[in-house]
Amino acid sequence: MRTVSAAETAPTTHPWAVHAEGLRVRAGRHLAVDGLDLALGAGVHGLLGPNGAGKTTLIRALATVVRPAGGRLRLLGEPVDGRADLRRVRRGLGYLPQQFGFYPRFTVREFVEYMAWLKEMPKSMVPGAVQRAIDRVGLTSKANARMKTLSGGMLRRAGIAQAVVNDPEVLLLDEPTVGLDPEQRLDFRELLRDVGLDSCVLVSTHLVEDVVAACSDVVMINEGRLVYQGTPDDLIAQGGTGDAGDSPAERGYSALLRRHRSEAGR
Amino acid sequence: MNRILGIELRRSAAAGSVLMLLLAGVIMLYVAPRRWSPGWMPLVMIQREYLVLLWPLSLAVGAWQSRREHRSNVAELFASTARPRAQRMLPTLAALGIAVTCAYLATAAVAVPWIIGTARYLPATAFVVAAVGALAMIAAAWLGLALGRLLPHVVTAPALAVAGIGLLMVLPAAVRHREWLALIFSPMFGMGQYTDYQTVYGRVSAAQAIWLVALAGAGAVLLASDSWRTRVAALLPAILGASLAIMVIPRDDKFVATPIDPVAQEQVCAEGSPRVCVSRVHSGLLPEVVPVARQALAMLAKLPNPPTTAHEDTTTYYPATSPPRQADVVLMQITVDDHGHLTHEADMLREMVAALGANTDGCSGPSPSVPVMRAAGSWLMGREPVTDDSDESAEVNAEAVKLWQGLQNLPEKEAAARVGAVRQAAMACADLDGLLTGRAQ
Repeated sequence: MRTVSAAETAPTTHPWAVHAEGLRVRAGRHLAVDGLDLALGAGVHGLLGPNGAGKTTLIRALATVVRPAGGRLRLLGEPVDGRADLRRVRRGLGYLPQQFGFYPRFTVREFVEYMAWLKEMPKSMVPGAVQRAIDRVGLTSKANARMKTLSGGMLRRAGIAQAVVNDPEVLLLDEPTVGLDPEQRLDFRELLRDVGLDSCVLVSTHLVEDVVAACSDVVMINEGRLVYQGTPDDLIAQGGTGDAGDSPAERGYSALLRRHRSEAGR
Repeated sequence: MNRILGIELRRSAAAGSVLMLLLAGVIMLYVAPRRWSPGWMPLVMIQREYLVLLWPLSLAVGAWQSRREHRSNVAELFASTARPRAQRMLPTLAALGIAVTCAYLATAAVAVPWIIGTARYLPATAFVVAAVGALAMIAAAWLGLALGRLLPHVVTAPALAVAGIGLLMVLPAAVRHREWLALIFSPMFGMGQYTDYQTVYGRVSAAQAIWLVALAGAGAVLLASDSWRTRVAALLPAILGASLAIMVIPRDDKFVATPIDPVAQEQVCAEGSPRVCVSRVHSGLLPEVVPVARQALAMLAKLPNPPTTAHEDTTTYYPATSPPRQADVVLMQITVDDHGHLTHEADMLREMVAALGANTDGCSGPSPSVPVMRAAGSWLMGREPVTDDSDESAEVNAEAVKLWQGLQNLPEKEAAARVGAVRQAAMACADLDGLLTGRAQ
């Protein structure tokens, strides 16, 4: 049991946790996200797309790390542009970057606590939230180990723990399953479903199977534009026997991509 | 914030830097304990002088710590968090500040038991001088943090250490005759001990503190800045502090030259008679000085109108100060050993008697005749004259021995009268030749 603040129980005034209209974001000089329209509510959204599709750039823009170059982006109902004060939005964010940076001398508990502090969590909630986040990713026995002693899979889980410590309303995970063994992947899917019950979770991955198993919604982008948004079942239905892939979902993925490329080529 | 500060104290460079700075500080102190063993003020001033190494090391510690953020690639993750950069830097600033202050004060604490038995005079100035030293360490660490952030490279820390030493060494030469500039900008300048009575004037410490607070502030602003505009703004406290310090610092020559604390120089006397007094800074040595001084006074008592009091010779050369010349006072040179105790007692005794209790400092003209003085002194001590100068020609001592034998052959009263005449003449800066020879009256 925990105390619930007034802000938490207040009715949301925004229809979408993430709402992008004609969003353009640069990666260096290249326009990696180019005119993307996207609306995401609560649930687990799998972000699919080939390498260079703009997945990481999109997630970085949603994490407020890069400023959009154009279009409109609203997070939790608040505009995200050059002038906005992002502090309130950021308190509601959880983010695991593709390259997860951490202080190697900190223990897992210390690092997650440090992140909770950076996310400006109320002081009284921090110790409990830190323990819960560590328990949720299955690092309880490693809580007092230094970050530098963790294996790749454990580091990934520590990264997820820091992302979920503040019970974020928008959770952004850029390839979180890299380095996880099959059993850990199953636990991770469980965690995603759990968080996705009342938050908006966006998971970028190359593993179509993960998306089908854990996501309530599939978002597919290519060359910075939205290709497809729908349910996993719908994705499977897109594929035929002639499409490349070892599973129905993979065949659906290839079919969508092929169709989009041929349309773009026209 | 307190919990985060705790984490930073444990996991940042803070803990390691305490050990390194403490070790460096203690080694420097104990390489030459004679430099600070005479008292508390010498201790805090010598520790300030060792900032020549500790200050650049502190700079390097800051730069090293600052590299953590760059090396561990956390910018991406932290950029998505709510807490502003300035607030995020506070625990780091606090942790390093606490670490370098503790290291500096702990170094002094290590020296405390060494001299606690003999050091007595503890003026408030000593705490001010130590506090300014700690402030210098904090300013260096914070400036190091800021510079390490601007140049996050593995060589930044060692390069800053070398540059820091170079700066402190070159600064006094660079400002030439404007020594007051060096006094502001170098926390170690003017801290070398020429006498045990030396001090640091309050206005000098105030100017130094103003500059160091401004420098620390500039470092903190530079570290917390997230745009070029705030980085430039960091110059503001530095410029303000420097201007204010320049206004406050005294430029009078007597302030800049090794200043003397008259209270430290005052004579403090032991109970009982004959009276034996030493300067306040050496007052802890009185129990060791008294027996030697009274022995010397007893030897001098053979003279007519003998001196009845022994005072420490508190002469300083720069600035020139000397104790008043009094006929009934014999001066003694107090020398302190590595442990803060009186040393060379035999030399002290011999010098007191050999000078016949006459203060000839300030006499102009030729120095008093060595054979006459030596023969008279030896007669008082009741032993044959010996030379203590290997460069001296043998004739000088042969002459002294001859004069001494003459005194030995005289009746006691007559000899005492002649030695007394030598003492009178020496005090009057008059010629001594012939005073020991001639017929018995």
